[in-house]
Amino acid sequence: MTEQVDNRNPAIAERAGQSDAPMGSGRSHILVILANNQPGMVDRVVGVLRRRRAQAQTISISQSELPNVSRITAVVNDSEVGIEQLVEQLRKIVDVRQVVNHSTEQSVARELALVKVNAAAEARGEVIEVGNLFGAHVVDLAQETLTLEVTGNEEKIEKFVALLQRFGVREIARTGSVAMIRDM
Amino acid sequence: MQRTATIPPMAEEARATHAHHVHEANDARELAGSHILCEALIREGVQLLYGYPGGTIMPFYDALTSYPTLNHVLVRHEQAAAHAADGYARATGKVGVCVATSGPGATNLVTGLATAYMDSTPIVAITGQVGRPLIGRDAFQETDILGVTQPITKHNFLVQRVEDLAEIVHEAFRLARSGRPGPVLIDIPKDVQFAKTLYPTPVSSIEHHRVTRIPQPSAAAIEKAASLIGEATRPLIMAGHGVILANAYPELQAFAEKTGIPVITTLLGLSAIPDTHPLAIGMPGMHGPAHVNRSIGKADLIIGVGLRFDDRVTGKVSEFAPHARFIHIDIDASEMHKVKRAAVPIVSDAKAALAALTAAVEKGDQRAWLDEIRSWEARDNERIARIARNEEYPDHICILEAIREASGGEAIIVTDVGQHQMWTARHYTWTRPNSHITSGGLGTMGFSLPAAMGVKMGMPDATVWVVAGDGGIQMNIQELATIKQQGITIKVAIMNNGYLGMVRQWQHFFHNHNYSETPITGPDYVKLADAYGLTGMQITRREDVQAAVRKAMEIDGTVILDFIIESETNVYPMVAPGSSITSMIEETAGESEE
Repeated sequence: MTEQVDNRNPAIAERAGQSDAPMGSGRSHILVILANNQPGMVDRVVGVLRRRRAQAQTISISQSELPNVSRITAVVNDSEVGIEQLVEQLRKIVDVRQVVNHSTEQSVARELALVKVNAAAEARGEVIEVGNLFGAHVVDLAQETLTLEVTGNEEKIEKFVALLQRFGVREIARTGSVAMIRDM
Repeated sequence: MQRTATIPPMAEEARATHAHHVHEANDARELAGSHILCEALIREGVQLLYGYPGGTIMPFYDALTSYPTLNHVLVRHEQAAAHAADGYARATGKVGVCVATSGPGATNLVTGLATAYMDSTPIVAITGQVGRPLIGRDAFQETDILGVTQPITKHNFLVQRVEDLAEIVHEAFRLARSGRPGPVLIDIPKDVQFAKTLYPTPVSSIEHHRVTRIPQPSAAAIEKAASLIGEATRPLIMAGHGVILANAYPELQAFAEKTGIPVITTLLGLSAIPDTHPLAIGMPGMHGPAHVNRSIGKADLIIGVGLRFDDRVTGKVSEFAPHARFIHIDIDASEMHKVKRAAVPIVSDAKAALAALTAAVEKGDQRAWLDEIRSWEARDNERIARIARNEEYPDHICILEAIREASGGEAIIVTDVGQHQMWTARHYTWTRPNSHITSGGLGTMGFSLPAAMGVKMGMPDATVWVVAGDGGIQMNIQELATIKQQGITIKVAIMNNGYLGMVRQWQHFFHNHNYSETPITGPDYVKLADAYGLTGMQITRREDVQAAVRKAMEIDGTVILDFIIESETNVYPMVAPGSSITSMIEETAGESEE
């Protein structure tokens, strides 16, 4: 029988009046959730976000370093309830092993985007040049279009996409953020 | 993995459940899933199940006849199975079990599961599911019951392999009763019930979840709480369902007596301390007596034990206990600061926290504060006593007094939802621990009759009274047949006012007397009782109440008493929803005549 660490925090930091906070007054938080990869686990996590009125901006789910344990990175805009209330609610999900709120100061967050841009022969050089400035790679080249792969934080990706708009962006696929705590 | 908390010592209960998982492989034999389910239920100590057979659960029902110690009660609607399991769990502290088939059987459990979830009661629901090859193909009586019940269960399981079945059953029971209790559902495809494997299953195959430990209070928190208690001049204890779930009656009383702090009991905390105790002052919130709400308004310290500061308790949150600091003891960390910021949050079992606090505090004296509260109470009581009661009809007070008198205060009272529920909570004198059973959080009409079946079967020596309204009693009235078939003895008091009374009361106060769809008729309950093979009486005059209740107690078997009460009596005092609990609508001489 595998024993797991009970990760509840018995003394939660003090905070006040969150239930009076108006809708939309929250800010973004990056939550990293480690959960047993059981059927329905993702439903449960997403269900708690919905029921506790936290708006998920991005959710990324993948394998963690542990077998059969998924790592979910959720960027949520916490409105009605305090973020720590949400974290405790997530910890109550039986499949959830750990929830950590990554404040942006302590952690590094990145996402990956694939951007398909109009790039007929005459514009191609210029598109590639923009890509180079952002460290993007060309992953596909066709008669009319060019697909670029870029990684970075949310701000960088948004800026990159904005700069490509004038060529005509056909399609964007973004992974949403993944995050990791920096070692001190 | 990063550890964010130190691990408290493993509690005895958790140790005991571990023993269940130690299997001897050498006595294993090949069994079908349906039999493994029965074996696993017996291993969990199950003796009673409430359920209803149907297509996908038939293999289990077939196996059931081979296990005579599993006493199955055939209900008349699956909702009643869930409520009965809930009632059993509330009364005994053990896990209640209900069983249903897939599709409509499973969806009929939903209200009962939600009721148990809101009030933190441990039940395990077992549902049949269509065979594995049919899942996801919209098969006959296929419902995604995992999806449907996900927000109203602590956890739920789909058994995908018969090898996992026994472990899942044990896991489900452990989850249901551990920490903050709650309902757990196990969905078992029909072909898994037919499939065979070795039992006891030699190798544990499912991933085990968090090892349960009963959270213990931290020394630092107890020290800080004790110092706040030492400084307080207007402290109050608010005791909730957590005290009853933790069986912490002596600890609550010892703590209150050492500190001298008055004790408020919430709706689900009623009977956590006897109402006759000098420190017990009553119920807070929307229909709490005025002196209790007034005391909360003046308090400088609230020690909340095993309650969640529900909106029916707090009223307008910003005006709830505006001068108080909070010490909040709850087993569920997510309750901390949810409604009110706690100066000292204590994530702990109520029993352990109260014992630790009692040891840490100095002996205290709050007589001046208690006297002040009692003076408000006396003034209110005098004022109310001056209001003329209608002496002609039976009323809630004389009905409740008669029940208490006839049962020597030892009855367990199961209420439904509405006016009668608030009257009973308020006017019955609770002295027997855990004698008040009601649907508090969800407010489920139709709860009382089926829940009382579970209460009575769990506590066969107790006198069990149902107090219900004429609306709620009609919601699961079909269970009279179950009661008759099983030979269950319950005494039922219907407070019959010909209205959905609580809704009518809200219409009276908040919707300009517009009694939209609240007048309600019912059957002739005397004939109805007779038709079900039970005894019924109708009581229309005040002077007959006591004799009728006594007679009901003397008659063998279930008796239904139909009390025709005044039709438009209101529950007082009342706090308008969203208002401060210190601004109450109280009865006046004029209003009682309406």
